[in-house]
Amino acid sequence: MSVMQNNSEKSKWYLPGVLGGMSITMKHLLKNLFNQKKMMTLNYPEEKYEYSPRFKGNHVLTVKKDGSLRCTACMLCATNCPAECIKITAAEHNDHTVEKFPISYEIDILRCVFCGYCEEACPVDAIRLGPEWQTPGVNGANFIYDINHLAYRPNLKGGIQTHVDDEERLKSGL
Amino acid sequence: MPKCTINGKEVEVKEGTSIIKAMVDSGERIAHYCWHDGLSVAGVCRLCMVEIEGNPRVQIACNTTITEGMKINNTSDKVRDAVKWGLDFHLINHPLDCPICDQAGECGLQDQYMEYGKYDPEMAEHKQKKHKVVDLGPTVVLDSERCILCSRCVRFTEEVSKTNELGIFNRGDRSEIGTHDGLELNNKYSLNTVDICPVGALTSKDFRFRQRVWYLKDAETVCNGCSTGCNIKAYYNREGFFRVKPSYNEKVNGHWMCDEGRDVYKFVNQEHRLLKAQVRGAAGWTEMAAGAAAKKASEVLKAAAADSIALVLTAQYTVEEYDAIVSTFVNEFKTKKIFFWINNKESFDEFDGLLIRGDKNPNTKGLLKVLEKHGITATWNELSAGLASGSVKTVVVAGPENQAVFKDFAERAKELSKAQNLIWLQAGKNEALMSLTGNVWLIPTKTFVEKDGTFINFAGLEQKFKKVTTVVSEALTLTEASLLMAGKNLAIPTAAQPFMPNNQRVDQVELEARKKNEFVFRRGSL
Repeated sequence: MSVMQNNSEKSKWYLPGVLGGMSITMKHLLKNLFNQKKMMTLNYPEEKYEYSPRFKGNHVLTVKKDGSLRCTACMLCATNCPAECIKITAAEHNDHTVEKFPISYEIDILRCVFCGYCEEACPVDAIRLGPEWQTPGVNGANFIYDINHLAYRPNLKGGIQTHVDDEERLKSGL
Repeated sequence: MPKCTINGKEVEVKEGTSIIKAMVDSGERIAHYCWHDGLSVAGVCRLCMVEIEGNPRVQIACNTTITEGMKINNTSDKVRDAVKWGLDFHLINHPLDCPICDQAGECGLQDQYMEYGKYDPEMAEHKQKKHKVVDLGPTVVLDSERCILCSRCVRFTEEVSKTNELGIFNRGDRSEIGTHDGLELNNKYSLNTVDICPVGALTSKDFRFRQRVWYLKDAETVCNGCSTGCNIKAYYNREGFFRVKPSYNEKVNGHWMCDEGRDVYKFVNQEHRLLKAQVRGAAGWTEMAAGAAAKKASEVLKAAAADSIALVLTAQYTVEEYDAIVSTFVNEFKTKKIFFWINNKESFDEFDGLLIRGDKNPNTKGLLKVLEKHGITATWNELSAGLASGSVKTVVVAGPENQAVFKDFAERAKELSKAQNLIWLQAGKNEALMSLTGNVWLIPTKTFVEKDGTFINFAGLEQKFKKVTTVVSEALTLTEASLLMAGKNLAIPTAAQPFMPNNQRVDQVELEARKKNEFVFRRGSL
């Protein structure tokens, strides 16, 4: 990279530039003092910015109407995951219309790269990437999220319901 | 020997060969569900359509015999169209629940849909509802909705196992596979029905939902369940072994294997294995590395007088290992007190007419051959007498891998523990061994899937097999153990050819071994 020097006579007049800059600073100061609602910055830990619903944050496992997990343990998300952070153990369900369900579903969030491929692979809308992204933890915090956290953590208020309804699908003959 | 042309290739076949057999043998791809080489021809799936020159319409290949000069073709648009719409009829009532179906990944329906299908379904009607998760017996679960009624399982129970439990009931689109009244699918070969099921209708209770098949690798080896020595494919990944399937060998097992043999993967997995050597001295048990324990044992063996050492062998190891350990004892320790632990004298000659034999050891013939070679004729009574009188002080035992077939295990262990020093080489854990007293060395050995070797089956057929994978890396083979016990060091095997010849492609080196024992990319071939 070469540095170009401006040696013209005009460039020696620096004072107008400084004053121009100061006036912009002054303008913002007055704007923020008298019109605080339009201020561009946030007081971060107290105030938080809300991202759009399409933001890919921490995972959520959706639930059915009765509150049980929608996941069928097909392991397509685990297969598709480039970071290999999903671990599922499947088991046989007593209800034969459900057949297969996960007894354990773990996401190692520290390995996750938030690519959203799990969401794309899921045939039944069982996993979504939610809006939540601030999940710090102190020493010894557990970053391997289990079903309890993924589907029923307190801020999900009893779980997010899936779009896919099994009963309706069965009725429509699918 | 009629000659014919298949897809433009000249092929000569045996008299009476069906077209499909000739095509499969010559490596042509042909869609089929109901045809299976080991079963009779049913001709119900109507997918193996071929065009024969001079014939106005397409015909099924499985039920047409090749005649002289036939010109057969299954790549024309006419054939592909016939197969495609045939497939559509199969999929009318198929639930398409591939995500939760265990067969997904090795399913004939998936394969053939990818090859011939890829259309939008033209059926507006609702799918026929049938029974899900039907318990057919102790080993097999049926999902009637997934079934395409190829009748392979029915023909298997009629023709191979000859138990006739299964049948097709009801008519039309309500047809279902089921068991006859009062019967359940409970025979010694029932899990073969799961293997031959081209879709996920029949699933094995043992394997059901445990792994998706694309997480598994498979490799060929030889079953060590009995002296038949069936050729098997073991399916495994880094978590361990998950299932065993038969692999075709005309001379030994054909297409089948027994249900008992399907459990041979279980004792191989880590949870049943001895991971570290356990040495019991005056101060009780201490844990030790396997090699170190064998070296320690060598001190005892060297100090002992030649006629106070005895070796007990079970017929569960490979010929190479027997040769190594027997020659070590004969040449290094100068003892001919080598004994054959026979676990099933009374059922030795039993045979059920198909595959299962009463001799539950894979290599009895091999062991006898090695013992004969070294001129060893000792019998167990001599050992018992020696132990009772105290003349045998140090006993080395090569214990069984498959402990389930050694009913006399605890009893024999107790008898052998009369010896002052007991060096027990074994792959699996056992409570009876941990409760022994006196000086005991428990040294872990490798199982049949972790080593190369040869088994000689009941008919004297030598079957070489390759190592599948390593489960317990620290464990020793008998060859290694005998080297260490003789006070020698382990030779590190070097490759015969450390540098690759540069006119050869890297992936062609050791191609044969890799072909057999690495990823199999084309699963689900019927």
